[in-house]
Amino acid sequence: MLMCRDLARISSDYIDGNLGTADNLSVKMHILMCKDCRSFIGNLRESVRLLKGHSGFRLDEEYANRLDSAVEKALKEQ
Amino acid sequence: MATLSDTPQKEAGLVDALKAGDQQAFRIAVREYSPDMLAVARYYLDHSSAEDVVQDTWVNVVDAIQKFEGRSGLKTWLHRIVANRCKNRLRTANREVSSEFGEVLEPGIADRFESGGRWATPPKLRFEEHAESLMENDALSECLDKHLSSLPEKQRSAVMLYEAHQHNADDVCNILDINASNLRVLVHRARQKIYLMVERFQETGEC
Ligand SMILES: [Zn+2]
Repeated sequence: MLMCRDLARISSDYIDGNLGTADNLSVKMHILMCKDCRSFIGNLRESVRLLKGHSGFRLDEEYANRLDSAVEKALKEQ
Repeated sequence: MATLSDTPQKEAGLVDALKAGDQQAFRIAVREYSPDMLAVARYYLDHSSAEDVVQDTWVNVVDAIQKFEGRSGLKTWLHRIVANRCKNRLRTANREVSSEFGEVLEPGIADRFESGGRWATPPKLRFEEHAESLMENDALSECLDKHLSSLPEKQRSAVMLYEAHQHNADDVCNILDINASNLRVLVHRARQKIYLMVERFQETGEC
């Protein structure tokens, strides 16, 4: 039987739909009966949502300008 | 993210302009592709070395773009150059690329189970009850930035490319030169860290 810890280990795979049919079903059965794991999965989903909403690696303008200058110099030397 | 290289036609147009040495095209490309390129470089190197590698790559691209045939996308091609340059640096600096692919549970999560595998300290809060305020909370997004920048390099690059930049898993594996199961571990670990961060933030109001 799938224990709560086992579920936590594969919870990202569950959220991302990477589990095989049998494992997926085990997780579904488990969270049907286990309130704590239901909370855990819900919270992990929210954490993922937060991450997906992040703007990612940003380019600060000063660095972007530095890149422009380096490119311009290389273009001139071509 | 809607970008100018969303369609192959647009990308072909950009590539032609780059081949012609169009300065404005380079400015556009630099702003478009550098964030991902930095993510790749940060996977291997510290912040300032990563910035150096991305800069060297662009300088190199000024000539190398002539040899770009478009068999892979421009993005993939740029990522490959960055990754190769990083690996060369690592080799010359004789640094080990460490493995972080072992344990799938974060200690802060792993500690919460009884030996039998049930929850000893179950989640008390339900984040989704505060979901709207979570997304709009400036203090929390600052906290998220802080946590993301303190993640181990591999986790950070993986999670940024996969979650924030929303690349698919195959792309990220190619970019970072790891297999699918390694990627899943990196992403899962990073997510748990963010989970712990949100939980702490909600409980204490502190980052
Ligand atoms: Zn459970």
